[in-house]
Amino acid sequence: MVQSVKPVQPIWCPGCGDFGVLAAVKRAATELKIPPHDFVLVGGIGCSGSIHNFLEINGIHALHGRLLAQAVGVKLANPSLTVVAAGGDGDGYAIGMGHFIHAFKKNVSILYIVMNNETYGLTKGQPSPTSELGFEGNVEPPFHSVLTALSIPAPNFIARTFSGDPKGMTATLSEAIRFNREGRGFAFVEDLSPCVTYNDNYKLWREKVLDVATLPDYDPTDRKKMFQLCLETIESGRIPIGVIHRPKALAKDGLEMKLVGDGPGPVRADIGLDANLAAYQKLLAGLT
Amino acid sequence: MSPAAAQIAPLPEQSGPGASRPPLELNDVSVMIGGQGGDGTLTVSDLLGRYFRKRGLYVYTSRNVLSRIRGGHADASVRASRDPMAAVKAQVDVLVAFDNEAVEMGKVELSSHGFILYDSTTFHIAEPHSAGFPFATMVGGSLGQPIFKNTAAYGALSVLFGFDPAQTRAVIEERFKRRGGDALDKNLKALEIGRKAALGTPGVENRYSIASGEAHNMILTTGNQAVALGFVVGGGRFFAGYPITPATEVLEYLQRYLPPLGGVVRQAEDELAAINMVIGASYAGARAMTSTSGPGLSLMTEGLSHAGTAELPIVVVDCQRVGPSTGQPTRHEQSDLSHLANLGHGEYPRFILAPADPVDCFELTAEALNLAERWRVPVILLLDQALSQNTATSPRFDLSKVRIDRGKRLTPEAVAKLAHYKVYEFASDGVSAYAPPGTPGIWAEVTGNEHDEWGHVSVNPANRLKMMKKRMEKLVHARNELPSCRLFGPLSARVGIIGFGSTSGPILEAQRLLEHRGLPTRYLQARTLWPVPVHEIDAFLKEVDVAYVVEHNYTGQFARLLRETMPWQYTKIRSILKYDGWTFRAPQIASEVKGVS
Repeated sequence: MVQSVKPVQPIWCPGCGDFGVLAAVKRAATELKIPPHDFVLVGGIGCSGSIHNFLEINGIHALHGRLLAQAVGVKLANPSLTVVAAGGDGDGYAIGMGHFIHAFKKNVSILYIVMNNETYGLTKGQPSPTSELGFEGNVEPPFHSVLTALSIPAPNFIARTFSGDPKGMTATLSEAIRFNREGRGFAFVEDLSPCVTYNDNYKLWREKVLDVATLPDYDPTDRKKMFQLCLETIESGRIPIGVIHRPKALAKDGLEMKLVGDGPGPVRADIGLDANLAAYQKLLAGLT
Repeated sequence: MSPAAAQIAPLPEQSGPGASRPPLELNDVSVMIGGQGGDGTLTVSDLLGRYFRKRGLYVYTSRNVLSRIRGGHADASVRASRDPMAAVKAQVDVLVAFDNEAVEMGKVELSSHGFILYDSTTFHIAEPHSAGFPFATMVGGSLGQPIFKNTAAYGALSVLFGFDPAQTRAVIEERFKRRGGDALDKNLKALEIGRKAALGTPGVENRYSIASGEAHNMILTTGNQAVALGFVVGGGRFFAGYPITPATEVLEYLQRYLPPLGGVVRQAEDELAAINMVIGASYAGARAMTSTSGPGLSLMTEGLSHAGTAELPIVVVDCQRVGPSTGQPTRHEQSDLSHLANLGHGEYPRFILAPADPVDCFELTAEALNLAERWRVPVILLLDQALSQNTATSPRFDLSKVRIDRGKRLTPEAVAKLAHYKVYEFASDGVSAYAPPGTPGIWAEVTGNEHDEWGHVSVNPANRLKMMKKRMEKLVHARNELPSCRLFGPLSARVGIIGFGSTSGPILEAQRLLEHRGLPTRYLQARTLWPVPVHEIDAFLKEVDVAYVVEHNYTGQFARLLRETMPWQYTKIRSILKYDGWTFRAPQIASEVKGVS
């Protein structure tokens, strides 16, 4: 047995919502029997982005906001890997917003977990893109990721979970990773993960969360209806959680399936000169 | 169309060959074709280039376009020579003008024996040594579309230059045979219209004759195409980029070349995404590259720093253009070097390689992939607009010059025999062995934070010192494996010239001019710019009394790097600089190089 890097103790404050995500990722990996060498977790910058250090897994600590681009690169280069990107709301919705929107469009089969605590915890409590009006003097309305996610017409898996509901979270993350491993495309899960030090919302959020699956009109394959349900829920002062979008078709719509499919892909391709000689000679002979 | 309809300027008896004179033989000819964007100037340049190549001449073409889709002045230049060359000729022998602006812009560069051939449909000029034919009207009348005026102009040029009629026609057939519809037929007719108009016109027919050469079985290509091909044969299988002039063609070529070989090419949402996708692919174990120009490079800087600290091998192609900021997107400069040598916050090793011609682009791109993976550092391939986009006659690319060296990459079998796998394990050359994710039995942490051998984040001062040394000393350990300089000119020369990139073309030509003037020079073409190859350049400087560093920027960026790394050679180093957006012409360099008395 080769000795590999050992996980370290989490740097998080006791009671941090991110512990819930860590536990759920572990349970999902066990449930889906993903060997650590095939599992890549790309972490962002911020408290939540250190999650890969606490797991027996391949980890990249990416640049602030760039974790999605790196995760997309990993998956397109080697689609046989299970790739999860995980970071915070500042990482994903502020500095990384461009990549966030494009991840839905690209529809590469990776899971993106945003641990949303509505603040910049690591830099000591500044307002983030999801902060409520008035939080630390915030005068900008909060950003609602699921509404934006629903606005992009791609066959993505979209869900929101709450760290106060570990069971629901594990089920959702397992479904999302299965969705990825079937090559069906991009999965996005926002977890409401309270920052016990700068924005302790456990009690408030427990009162406000509303599982959309309990609503009479719930149909996660109907984008228009789900947008309306989520918007109405938000406008009524509640927070929609649960599986918010799940494409009807079981098609292998992941971009890596279109670009690589059953082929070896960029990493496993034989790049030796001998193996490619005929193709290279043909390419060079085409020059005039 | 009768010759009488042509507007022929009077030909003074004492200057230039007339109908009664023998043609003026040219061994080195340059033609500039100017007009509005959309006039088809590029087509004329392409047709002439094809003809010249059939005659075994070396061809070099360049374009002067504005950063807009249509309209505005645009010109294309083609140069053909018996001798190898890769530079724009100092003066224009024949100017082809589709509008008056093209005449005004081009005539200042016209040589003393030069001639202007223009489309007189909408304007007339009173220049000596000129002839106007209403090409647009002529083809518009018989072919219904004035757009064929460019092919008619090519027909007239073929008469002016005394081209072989069969080969002139063969060029049209080659160029248009694959076009659908009646494109070939109409272009052949336009060719004849242009030819007939010019035939028998005094001062036009056989005014010049063009020599034949020996440059056969060569290709005409650009640096950007060569980079794309070098990437493919070097085992590159992942490319992400964002369109930017003058780098876009690398992305476009790879979109054609890579997918059939199982590679992945993505146009990213911005340069930040492009370089981070490349970093992700590199981490996964693919050979990965991106290409960009100045403004994109600024955005990629954080990614390069990350790759440097995380020790992930990537290749970044920088096709330099005029900066800073948006600068002049379509114009030539070499002003990113200082930025690249010091790129990023913090300190990390990087290699900067500078190819000078298409073969160099092909071979150094493949080698850049080896060096990146062997040393686990970012490698920058430094091109410039002229090298990226101008076409040059080049020997065919040689696959036997390409090798694949994956450095200390671990196979699954080798991994199985390890006691432990530390992704940042200390090693005498600073390079840790690497096994990509997916290798059974192991996993690793890769990070841009300072880290220990396991990849755990670390603020331990002793570890910091060891890790910095591990990374930075790669610059020393790798020195002898980096591409070496090339030397041209006699060892006995006391005057040195130093340059890099496409500037090599005009420098080599300037050396010939200086030789004729009795001033032999020795030229060092630097192919590794960072780390500065002190061992090579210091030896070179010891052999000369003075060395002129020729580069396209204001501050003499390479000269500064040389002085910084070899202060003892400070006084020998002079600068010859150009930063007006145009490339050097050989006579300018030759005029600034002075002997030492």
